Amino acid sequence: MKGWYALLGFLLCASVAMATALGDTVSLRDVGHVIWYHLSFGQTQPADLIADRIVWQLRLPRAILAIVVGGGLAIVGTSMQALVRNPLAEPYILGISSGASAGASLFFLGFLPPLISKGLSMPLAAFAGGLLAITIVYAVAGRNSRLSVARLLLAGVAVAALMASVTSFVSLSSPEPDKLRAVLFWLMGSLHNATWAVLPWPTIATLIGFGILFMLARSLDAMLLGEESAHNLGVRVELIKRLLIVLAALVTGSIVAASGAIGFVGLIVPHAVRMVTGVTHRRVLPACFMAGALFLLWADLAARLLLPGEQLPVGIVTALCGVPFFLFLLGRSNYGFGG
Amino acid sequence: MCRALIVFFVLLNGCVREPVRTVTMTDDLGRAVQLEGVPDRLVSLAPSVTELIYAAGGQSKLVGVTTADDYPPDVHHLTRISALPVDFEAILTLDPDLVLASEQVNGPNDAATLAAVHVPTYFVSVANLDDVFRAIRTLGTLLDTEAVAHGNADSLQRAHDRLRLRTQEIEHRPSTLFLISDVTLYSFGHGSYMHELINIAGGRSITADLTTRAPVLTDEFVLAQQPDIIVGSFGADFKPEHLLLHHPTWDVLGAVESGRVYALEASYFLRPGPRLVEGAWQLARVLHPDLEP
Repeated sequence: MKGWYALLGFLLCASVAMATALGDTVSLRDVGHVIWYHLSFGQTQPADLIADRIVWQLRLPRAILAIVVGGGLAIVGTSMQALVRNPLAEPYILGISSGASAGASLFFLGFLPPLISKGLSMPLAAFAGGLLAITIVYAVAGRNSRLSVARLLLAGVAVAALMASVTSFVSLSSPEPDKLRAVLFWLMGSLHNATWAVLPWPTIATLIGFGILFMLARSLDAMLLGEESAHNLGVRVELIKRLLIVLAALVTGSIVAASGAIGFVGLIVPHAVRMVTGVTHRRVLPACFMAGALFLLWADLAARLLLPGEQLPVGIVTALCGVPFFLFLLGRSNYGFGG
Repeated sequence: MCRALIVFFVLLNGCVREPVRTVTMTDDLGRAVQLEGVPDRLVSLAPSVTELIYAAGGQSKLVGVTTADDYPPDVHHLTRISALPVDFEAILTLDPDLVLASEQVNGPNDAATLAAVHVPTYFVSVANLDDVFRAIRTLGTLLDTEAVAHGNADSLQRAHDRLRLRTQEIEHRPSTLFLISDVTLYSFGHGSYMHELINIAGGRSITADLTTRAPVLTDEFVLAQQPDIIVGSFGADFKPEHLLLHHPTWDVLGAVESGRVYALEASYFLRPGPRLVEGAWQLARVLHPDLEP
């Protein structure tokens, strides 16, 4: 197992290096120069200023945001799958991402008042939207004590469509066309807004989410056996369920406020990871975080290199990979948590 | 014999002067448009088309324009209809005998719906400045206002030629970025008329080689291209700080450092119509402030 973590860690470092180095606007020599200048805390010869802005202010924060967003969505996916005991659950499919993007765009267009600082109000609005969406979905799907998968997925699709309509409606009725274009970003999901200033909130929320989920790893394992068994094992099922919902909304909300609604990371990654690690959450969670980060780094690299100089939302790439995968899982007669 | 001649002439006359003259014209999409007589109730489906109709001298025949129209100021007296999406019912209540549309704005499917209720649609396509002059003259023929149309097209062409003469000798052509909006970086890509405007204004467009027609640029692309000048259709209340707020890494760009970021009025650049010529002059004055008028 240790070998796998080491491999993932190595791949992650290599991919960050690639994400900062690839692209035909800056030569590899200049990239190395910029990195060396910053790693030596400005003790060496400063690099070309344009190269510095591109590598240090645009590509590096974007790579780190990809790690935070990919890792965060993957662990939220894992926790949602434990919550509903179904490996098809995922923040995007359950409508959390759409709810969060509705909240974020309502705030962006000025329909919601800024409560605290502007930097924090946006994630807060996204959190509220995500929480509202998952609460509705969960309440509809789990009405008669037993959670129905069909109802869960249908409710997720319905709420996602509703939230996307809210976003579209407010943006189309907005008098400012420039803002309309910006709102498209929350619907499609993109990492192009990454700056160092954007990073703190999603990073903090994802770290908190990871910490709490890791502490709850044993309870999550027990939840997979069924609520009754978990209860018999001494797990406070109702409390854990609520905590998981709030955590999912918190992490997804902070992520969506920074990157828009990027789908299917939380679906593909836990699946692939479980094939290697088995279902024990103490192993699944860290591996999921790293694999999710890796997946989004590569997806974003593909999005960047497919249309050089132009923006291609990474959400398109993840959906192109994720939807066939989802349909494949749905088509298999006995999908489950096995390998 | 005499009576026979009279009858003959009456018959001949009847043949020559049919009650309506059916003409078939081919529009810029290559569609055959059948018109009964000279149209005199026009609906325009795009602001650029409205401006072309005015330039062709057909304004007295206009009965409806789009909700986005604002030029010339006269259009405020006309009935407004929604063009995106097209409000077909509102068009029908105006009882037009011809709807004029723009290839750059409207879809050919809109014409199919109008054809089903026997309203002909004529598409105008303006992809470069020559198209502007040509479209004005064609509309003059279509609307039977050729004298005015040719006069206006000629004077626009003279203004265009004068600018080309002024700038063709310029040695240093500043690299220029034209942005449609300042938050999301919409710009003009492959095959756009914007590169021609920048070219005759004495500059060099940095987005001419992009493969898509309506690209959204990345901050990195702009940094790597290092434009000497950034011009945007940002409107009058634009502040250069606003650009840096959304694109903080651009502080090292030559255009930003030397304060060569300019906001121009959008309708001179985003409407493929007669005012593109004035737009080119505005660009030229920004790129080369000491240019002779």
